[in-house]
Amino acid sequence: MASRTKYIDQHVDELLSGYIDGELTQQERQRVDVHCEACAECLELRDELRDMRRDVGDARLSEIGEDKWRETMSDTTVQVTRGIGWLLLIGGFLAVAGIGIYEFLIDPSVGWLEKLLVAVIYGGFAALFISVLRQRLIERKSDKYKDVEI
Amino acid sequence: MQQKLAQLGGGAHALATQILGNADDAADAVQDAFETVLGSPESYDAGKGPLRPWFMRVVRNRCLDMLRRRKPGDDAADLLHDPAPGPEQSLRQEQRSTVIRRAISVLPAGQREIIVLRDYMDLSYAEIADVLEIAPGTVMSRLHRARLALKEALEIDGK
Repeated sequence: MASRTKYIDQHVDELLSGYIDGELTQQERQRVDVHCEACAECLELRDELRDMRRDVGDARLSEIGEDKWRETMSDTTVQVTRGIGWLLLIGGFLAVAGIGIYEFLIDPSVGWLEKLLVAVIYGGFAALFISVLRQRLIERKSDKYKDVEI
Repeated sequence: MQQKLAQLGGGAHALATQILGNADDAADAVQDAFETVLGSPESYDAGKGPLRPWFMRVVRNRCLDMLRRRKPGDDAADLLHDPAPGPEQSLRQEQRSTVIRRAISVLPAGQREIIVLRDYMDLSYAEIADVLEIAPGTVMSRLHRARLALKEALEIDGK
């Protein structure tokens, strides 16, 4: 009886949201029911929140439908052309670099010391590139999206 | 997987729109999230829970990344715009949708997203806590504050 009086006297506030969402325990629901029987203000608010929730659920908050997303995801043309583009770019770069290195190494007008110095500089670039690439791969492995678990 | 993700596209776009304040940026964010997930589908472990809250978290993280990269002053809650009405919807329902969208758009981003997650996407409190990375016990109070703010915004809009 004492708890019933307490329920009547205390506004239930956020429990109203839990109530309309079906997220309360049986005891909490009972508390809201008892309070709302005696409190017109909370009863009105509960009904208003319930109507508002329904309206938000019915509202159109996105214009892009399921078909559009499916279409976008299965756009194989984009995927294939992107893949071919990267392949051509990397392949072309490696071919040009290979020819350049070969020409440089067999060029008799360039001394061995100069060749060595240039090789050291390019070796430095290669080391930096590998370092960055390795870092990116590690980051990708520990991508935060991978930690997104339910 | 693609089929299920496509079904989540609309809700994900609604959530992203509320976070980014711009439907076009939101579409980019959802598209990026699709590519991320489809690029490494093994990152989703079906044994650990449903796909929907997990994907919403991916989308939300993508949106937050985009917000971080935005230039100062580019935070465009005012860019929230009303999409054109479709012929299949009744005028009354469309008008109500417009009022709801307008009222949601004046809320702070945190309130917008929690309302979309619960009232539009129907996620449970536990799933919302997971998506927003907050304690489950705080979801109800946050949501209630957001709803009260939305109610007030609707009342102001109606005057």
